[in-house]
Amino acid sequence: MRMFLHILYFKNKMFWKFSVEKGFGVFAKGIGSAIVFGLFAVGAFYLSHYVTAYLLGGVKIGLFLFHRFLGMLLFVFFITINLGNIVVSFSTLYRSPEVEFLLTHPVTYQNIFVIKFLDNFFYSSGTLFLVGFSVLLGYGTYFHYPWYFYPFMMFGILVPFMFLAGCIAVLVLLGVMILAEKINFRLLIGIIVAFYLMQVFLYFKVSGPVHLVREVMKYYPYVDLYFGTLDPLAIKLLPNFWISEILYFFSIKNYFPVYGYTALLLLSTLGVFILLLLVGGMNFFRTWLTSLTIKAMGMKRVELRSNFFAFGRKSIFSSQIEVLLKKEFWQFVREPSQWIHFTVMMVLITAFLSSVSTLNIKLESPELMSVVYLVIFIFNIFLINSLALRFGFPMMSLEGKAMWSMRSAPIKLSNVYWIKFSLTTLLILLLGGVIAFFSNIPNLYTQRVQGILPGQFEFVTPHLALKKLALTSIIITALSAVTLVSMNFGLGALYLNTSEKNPIRIASSQGATITFLLSTVYLVLLLAMYFFPVITMHTASINNSVVSNRIFWFVLGLIAGLSGLIIAVSHSIGIASLRKDFL
Amino acid sequence: MIELKNLTKKFGSYTAVDNVSLTIPAGEFFGFLGPNGAGKTTTIKMMTGLFTPTSGSIIINGFDIVKNPLEAKSTFGYIPDHPYLYDKLSGREYLFYIGGLFQMGKNEIQENVERVIDLLELASWIDKKTEDYSQGMRQRVTFAAAFVHHPKTIIIDEPMVGLDPRSARIVKDTLKQKSREGVSIFMSTHILEMVEELCDRIGIINKGKMIFLDTKENLFSHKSQSNGRLESVFLELIKEADAE
Repeated sequence: MRMFLHILYFKNKMFWKFSVEKGFGVFAKGIGSAIVFGLFAVGAFYLSHYVTAYLLGGVKIGLFLFHRFLGMLLFVFFITINLGNIVVSFSTLYRSPEVEFLLTHPVTYQNIFVIKFLDNFFYSSGTLFLVGFSVLLGYGTYFHYPWYFYPFMMFGILVPFMFLAGCIAVLVLLGVMILAEKINFRLLIGIIVAFYLMQVFLYFKVSGPVHLVREVMKYYPYVDLYFGTLDPLAIKLLPNFWISEILYFFSIKNYFPVYGYTALLLLSTLGVFILLLLVGGMNFFRTWLTSLTIKAMGMKRVELRSNFFAFGRKSIFSSQIEVLLKKEFWQFVREPSQWIHFTVMMVLITAFLSSVSTLNIKLESPELMSVVYLVIFIFNIFLINSLALRFGFPMMSLEGKAMWSMRSAPIKLSNVYWIKFSLTTLLILLLGGVIAFFSNIPNLYTQRVQGILPGQFEFVTPHLALKKLALTSIIITALSAVTLVSMNFGLGALYLNTSEKNPIRIASSQGATITFLLSTVYLVLLLAMYFFPVITMHTASINNSVVSNRIFWFVLGLIAGLSGLIIAVSHSIGIASLRKDFL
Repeated sequence: MIELKNLTKKFGSYTAVDNVSLTIPAGEFFGFLGPNGAGKTTTIKMMTGLFTPTSGSIIINGFDIVKNPLEAKSTFGYIPDHPYLYDKLSGREYLFYIGGLFQMGKNEIQENVERVIDLLELASWIDKKTEDYSQGMRQRVTFAAAFVHHPKTIIIDEPMVGLDPRSARIVKDTLKQKSREGVSIFMSTHILEMVEELCDRIGIINKGKMIFLDTKENLFSHKSQSNGRLESVFLELIKEADAE
């Protein structure tokens, strides 16, 4: 314990030294970051407050349904933290030079494991605490909750919930690493990806959000009751359900279930943490050695051969462009953390698109239809943003210390920047187009849907207004893809980190977090600008009326203006940053 | 040919390089000495375009590195003290990559890559990924990369880091050969014996200022007054400069 506290003390000291003692430049950057974080927190607060007010006061979906939606969001939140922690903890536990350093000193494996686990958890969840608290504040102020609600919910519920997700993630990782001694590592990764996909699919299949809305709306608002009998048993076993119950019962001032579910969450978190300590303490070093074997095997096995991209082969490009393109290709396909992460994201996107492309949002209320449409729309942009952050932001930093060879060669750095940007944009734009198209299929083409009687089907042709809406969404998605990649590139160059080799850590650094927050502000502005056309089109589709194209042109103009400004500013910052001294 | 005119580099209030001027003609082998933190690497980083000078100018083979960076860079080869390479490329791929950056034709790159592989005896491991290389192997690949495009000038920062005696011999012989072919060489090092063996002229920098700039012969005249060791001359000069 003494050793553990000793290391923790010095890690804490290093953190604050790094933050405080770096001169005016870093101080100014810190102030800038604080402003961005602050503004984002305020934005998240207002967004959460108004969305709560809109759904409860405007659309009137009722407390029960509202908290079930919250439960679903919390499930996605849980899975996001869980997956994020698996990926980041692999780097933190098995690829960190600090672990190698500590292993050569008289520190127990258990201490190293716990130190790195906490490092990983707070490193990858810091921003989520801020987001969580702001959202909680926005939600709570709608209900005019007393002050003690916030610390109770934050430290008694939300932090343990996130910690539970982190613990499970590392347990899964340890399990994978133990199994990797006997089973092929890549096969295991495939199994884990399939397992998570199945989990998400089953969750939404079992919880059946559309069925739930239809059932509740049969009674609500005439009967405003707790419709808990509609909840399937399997869903009740999940921690996100417990939190939605805590929030629901708190809102109707029935505190007994609040205490029960809180105790259940805390005990579960504690139990899983103790299990993690046991499993980690016993297996960390063993799995660390396995990671070395995997790395050594990977060097020999993962050797994609492509004559097309061979350096000796002639191409239509100029020699500088050609070697830069080929270098990017080989750096990507030979770095497992790049292609594995990309493949996982592609599989998740494919699964999402296959379900959303057949989702027919046929509800009575245009407001509710618009909300569902906008949720899918913004989720699409969010996916694109994740791709831009994960693969765009680290692009310049990934030159690493080898950047000296580019800086001392007769090539314009802006050319290097544009080549990297074009490659990333092309890829993400293509993916964005596919995502936008597939999620708008129900609004573009005639769909066969289940009729009233079993076995009976009917054909639904989308209203012209919905077709226009779908085309506009595709254009906006493409525009936002270019904007988000630009933002990530520009700020990725500004926060250039050539010392870090791991792209995942670069994409979760402080600079990346600030970029993510800024891009989220862009997403919110996008949502605000697009809200009016979406609700107008859904109203027109229900009333079977005609809507002028002017509304689309106006909104497209606004969004294009904002996006153009962001693109221009981002690239100016990015290219100017590259001219700095290379230390 | 290299010309440094009143070169100064400041980092905030700290002056790393202070009004340094010197000219190195074609074919000259110049040794750049100085204690740790004297400003050697900063000078080299300015010469290679990694730092921008606060004032003064650097002309390499007729081109100003600040005003015409691309033209200047296309005439020299640079070997840094810690040659970080792209981990995921093999040594051969890296050489092709460098050839491409210098806008050489495919056949020309092919020929020159083979030439430098032979010259520096890299054939047995050049097709492995550079992440598997030792420090010495990285250093030799970096030398090879600097020679691929037939530079008129070679700028070297600590050439012997991590090299075994055989590799060091190969590198020294290659550099001597290049100098005889008319290539101007600017070499920063701490290894005084190497300076003694290879260099025509020597400059010593201390606290950013050039405290000695003369031929090897004149340095030897200092040496004869001393105990016959270059190390003693070097230490004496530094001591004198510190006292001033």
